[in-house]
Amino acid sequence: MAGELIKMEHICKEFPGVKALDDVTFELKAGEVHALVGENGAGKSTLMKVLTGVYTKDSGKILLNGEEISINNVRDAQRKGIIMIHQELNLMNHLTAAQNIFIGREYKTKAKVFLDAKSQNQEAKKLFERLNQDIDPTVKVGDLTVAKQQMVEIAKALSYDSKILIMDEPTAALTDNEIEDLFRVIRMLREEGRAIIHISHRLEELKQISDRITVMRDGGYVDTVNTKDTSIDQIIKMMVGREIFVTKQDAFTQKDNKVTLEVRNLNAGRMVRNVTFQAREGEILGLAGLVGAGRTETARAIFGADPHESGEILVHGKPVKISSPSDAVNAGIAYLSEDRKRYGLALGLSVDENVCMADMTDFLKALVFINFKKSRDNTTKQKESLSIKTPSIKQKVKLLSGGNQQKVVLAKWLTRNSDILIFDEPTRGIDIGAKNEIYKLMNQLAAEGKTIIVISSELPEIIRTCHRVLVMCEGRITGEVTGDEIDQNVIMGYATKREA
Amino acid sequence: MKKLLAVLLTLTMVAGAAVGCGSKSEEPAKSEPAQNEDASAQAPADADTSAPAADGEEPYIAMIALGFSHQFWQAVKSGADQAAADLGVKITFEGPEQETMVDKQVDMLKTALGNNPSAVCMAAIDNEAVAGILQEAKGKGIKVVGFDAGVGEAESEAKCSTDSLAAGALAAEHAAELLGGKGKIGIVGHSQTVVDAVERVVGFKDKIAADYPDIEIVDEQYGEGDHLKSAEVAKSMMQANPDIQLIYTSNEGACVGAYNGLKEANKLKDVKLVGFDSSAAMKEAIKSGEIAGAITQDPVGMGYKTIETAVKLMNGESVESFIDTGCYWYDASNMDDPKIAPLLYD
Amino acid sequence: MKVKSLLKNKDVSHKLIILATFFLLVIFFSIMKPSYASYDNIMTILLATCVNGLLALGCSFVIITGGIDISVGTVMTFSCVMSGTAFTVWHFPIWLAILFGFLVGTLCGAINGFAVAKMMLPPFIATMAMQMITKGLSLVVSGIKPVYFTGADGYQNIAIGEFLGIPGFYNAIIILVIAAIVAHILFSRILIGRYDLAIGSNEEAARLSGIKVNQWKIGIYALCGLFCGVAGLVMSSRLNSAQPQLGPGYELEAIAAAVIGGNSLTGGEGSIVGTLIGALIISSLTNGLRIMAVSTEIQSAIVGLVLALAVFFDQMRRKKG
Repeated sequence: MAGELIKMEHICKEFPGVKALDDVTFELKAGEVHALVGENGAGKSTLMKVLTGVYTKDSGKILLNGEEISINNVRDAQRKGIIMIHQELNLMNHLTAAQNIFIGREYKTKAKVFLDAKSQNQEAKKLFERLNQDIDPTVKVGDLTVAKQQMVEIAKALSYDSKILIMDEPTAALTDNEIEDLFRVIRMLREEGRAIIHISHRLEELKQISDRITVMRDGGYVDTVNTKDTSIDQIIKMMVGREIFVTKQDAFTQKDNKVTLEVRNLNAGRMVRNVTFQAREGEILGLAGLVGAGRTETARAIFGADPHESGEILVHGKPVKISSPSDAVNAGIAYLSEDRKRYGLALGLSVDENVCMADMTDFLKALVFINFKKSRDNTTKQKESLSIKTPSIKQKVKLLSGGNQQKVVLAKWLTRNSDILIFDEPTRGIDIGAKNEIYKLMNQLAAEGKTIIVISSELPEIIRTCHRVLVMCEGRITGEVTGDEIDQNVIMGYATKREA
Repeated sequence: MKKLLAVLLTLTMVAGAAVGCGSKSEEPAKSEPAQNEDASAQAPADADTSAPAADGEEPYIAMIALGFSHQFWQAVKSGADQAAADLGVKITFEGPEQETMVDKQVDMLKTALGNNPSAVCMAAIDNEAVAGILQEAKGKGIKVVGFDAGVGEAESEAKCSTDSLAAGALAAEHAAELLGGKGKIGIVGHSQTVVDAVERVVGFKDKIAADYPDIEIVDEQYGEGDHLKSAEVAKSMMQANPDIQLIYTSNEGACVGAYNGLKEANKLKDVKLVGFDSSAAMKEAIKSGEIAGAITQDPVGMGYKTIETAVKLMNGESVESFIDTGCYWYDASNMDDPKIAPLLYD
Repeated sequence: MKVKSLLKNKDVSHKLIILATFFLLVIFFSIMKPSYASYDNIMTILLATCVNGLLALGCSFVIITGGIDISVGTVMTFSCVMSGTAFTVWHFPIWLAILFGFLVGTLCGAINGFAVAKMMLPPFIATMAMQMITKGLSLVVSGIKPVYFTGADGYQNIAIGEFLGIPGFYNAIIILVIAAIVAHILFSRILIGRYDLAIGSNEEAARLSGIKVNQWKIGIYALCGLFCGVAGLVMSSRLNSAQPQLGPGYELEAIAAAVIGGNSLTGGEGSIVGTLIGALIISSLTNGLRIMAVSTEIQSAIVGLVLALAVFFDQMRRKKG
């Protein structure tokens, strides 16, 4: 191997109030899968955005095959063969797979006027075959699964003959089979001599797929190690700068605690069928299952975000009619969406404005005027008790890291005094350190008597946080496990228990 | 609340019905002031209208104006309705909401031609835009008469309108008289694209330049005929040239706008205002002397003569290629004159 | 230190930029034509800002939700036509007729809001329909004639009477100032403003926070309608009549003022002060060009250029942040 393909030296990048990258160095060899890890806010995304031309660096050098290059925008990077596959895929849902791949470089007929759909589709088909994917080039991308959409993105990168592929959390929304398929493709790309930068929080999978791992922390470079010479614990230590102990939750002992939420025969579309369960004060109840099992749909139906056809919802023993989120909020139910940016936060508004969004009535004086002092005091209190890291409560939330954004959402609901909190994938896109903080907060809230419902696709997360777990499959609850019974294999058994 | 809505709805319906009735009134409205001296003099209304009625149904004439909502067009329409009733023809009268909507007007023309009219009377916003369509219509034997702004000369067989150049010159004469042959004038126009509007200004300026060497036109601005904009235009004009002694305005919106502007700036006493067209507000201000006077066209006569000319052409009679429908100067002294009063509309 | 941090704050810096633009304009025209800066002319400019300013204020609330209201001009006309009709035909006392005009405006706005929130029409379409409807109804109700407020003694004084007898200081300016203060308070200190921002920033997140988004939207559009009603009062008072054919075209100027004032058409960002300065920029620019006897067609081109530049700089500022 003749040296480095890409070398980033002493990269610095500053945003107002935050030093996002501080003298970071990163090397990438051809034909390797290079994992980039670090807690959220460690600077991984920023570094990659500098490499792909989304941001321009304040200082430092980028070398391609030993020659210094300047990357000023995404097209520059694309031309030099650097492509990023974002976590939120950049595809146009209404266009077909082939149209997405060749967007901006459409095949034309000889006259150079008319589009040549036929050869374009054939070319796309060839790319898919190379990836061993059975995707119809004429199908609209919006109709494909996330995993297939990802393959379309990879095919697009291949069509540019990109030498460097950056994948940001590619496995976050995939099932195990899909992950295996993706890894097979990644290995194939590596065999072809391409370099892959793999950003992920799932350290177990990095162990499987990567050759080298670079760790970042707080905007700085920590170390680069060979994967085979290191252990997950060591990487975690490098990431957080401390060791982490994981303990399993004790079984829920206070069985006589009051039932706070009861759902009876809830039906909502295909994905929520006859769902019945109870949750108690102080309990952390898990909702496990594979992606598409109907857990989020159940939560949204309970919260009134989507309508339900039938069923009863009782809060503190009293039936409540929930036809909109505001009904649910008034009944004391809170929902922390899996997609914070889309459903949880007004990104352009400040921390303060977001925290008091769900309950302004408490922050009014003379019935109509906003009591800014009271609102600020509350936000400051929440900021301290949840240790939200922000330079100021006036900071726009889009400038915060994922973990801190999640805390802002949580602060919003705690301000509302909600006593039933539904966490949907509470730690998605959140680094390990912040994850543990969120777990700790959930425990603390449960100890205060709140009811916590956790939806998670990560079994270790369910196992470590929940007193009791309901497992869903195809819109039904297929099993319930408590305390010591909570076990990966048992849960997976129920999660795949399809209808006969 | 409900009551209010009911009132509103009823009102809407009543008003709608009234407008509807107006347009298809079968009998000549008795109060119609169409028979002013000029019009009636050359209107042998019931002399010979045999041909149109011969084939069983009433011949149909489509009339398309520059606008619709302005009272001027409503006055033209009333004259045309009168003529239609007198001569036994059926007419439709249309115009776009704004006098700039060329495309809408073209659509109206196309639609009207689809109904196989015997004649089309038109005041085109843009001559070129309708030239082809009108040529085609002419080829099919449809008579084309221009009115007011008219259409291109090649397309029409006759044009009934105010001679705007002459009207502008008439305004200039009176303006000069008001100034005693010496002073500074500002002009608030309403359009730089409609031929008619341009001619009102050009006629005015040419006359001043030709006959009154001591009068200077110091500023010329346009306010789209919008009352509010014209008010602002007049005020800033006075700000820039405080020595202006007279403002000439080229239509009702410009005139009332300038009037309001001068009133707001407390300049009504110092600046004489010469207007164009008429409205209730203008009449009142002229009566009280706040506006020195204005030129009025004869829209009712224009409507009447247009239809009359079209009917003559349909009957194979020859007509003059330009029929001046006349214009008059009016001020506090003559506005109640029986010759003038019918030409002033609200 | 404080000044520096103020400059770093993007919202503040934008306001400073447009304020500076405004003053540069004023200084430029004053040098070119000293009479521009005369007391009378400044009052003329302020008076000329009133109608557009009121419409732009209303528009801002809607624009901040990420919507648009292109019916403001004709709703203004319709509400003053209705007010005039109430006075002349139904013989309402004048104060009641005025309130009736406000009510009509508010109602039109509420219907816009209903169409957007409950019927899910895109704001552009919903308000375009309202624009056409009110344009037509104004003509029908008035019989295509101006509705004169003769008989309402002092009606013209509502707009062009002199405030506290100060010469040249028109009441309309006070109306605009009061309306702007009310709008500012509504926007920055009262729930409707906060939810306005929240909806514009992320409507779904707002809904999932338990905010009754639909009701607030109706309220916001109705508020815009109310501002149109007030603009209608000022307009008809200045002309002492309701001119039924006016209105189309005014919405564009109002939107332009809001945009120059830094309200993002994608929503979630904006300010009332900005809008007001935006409206001032437009009227002082037009006034200045007229005073310099720049011909009308070039005036229009220059205002268009300023609009494009304003949005361009705003985009640059956003991108930088």
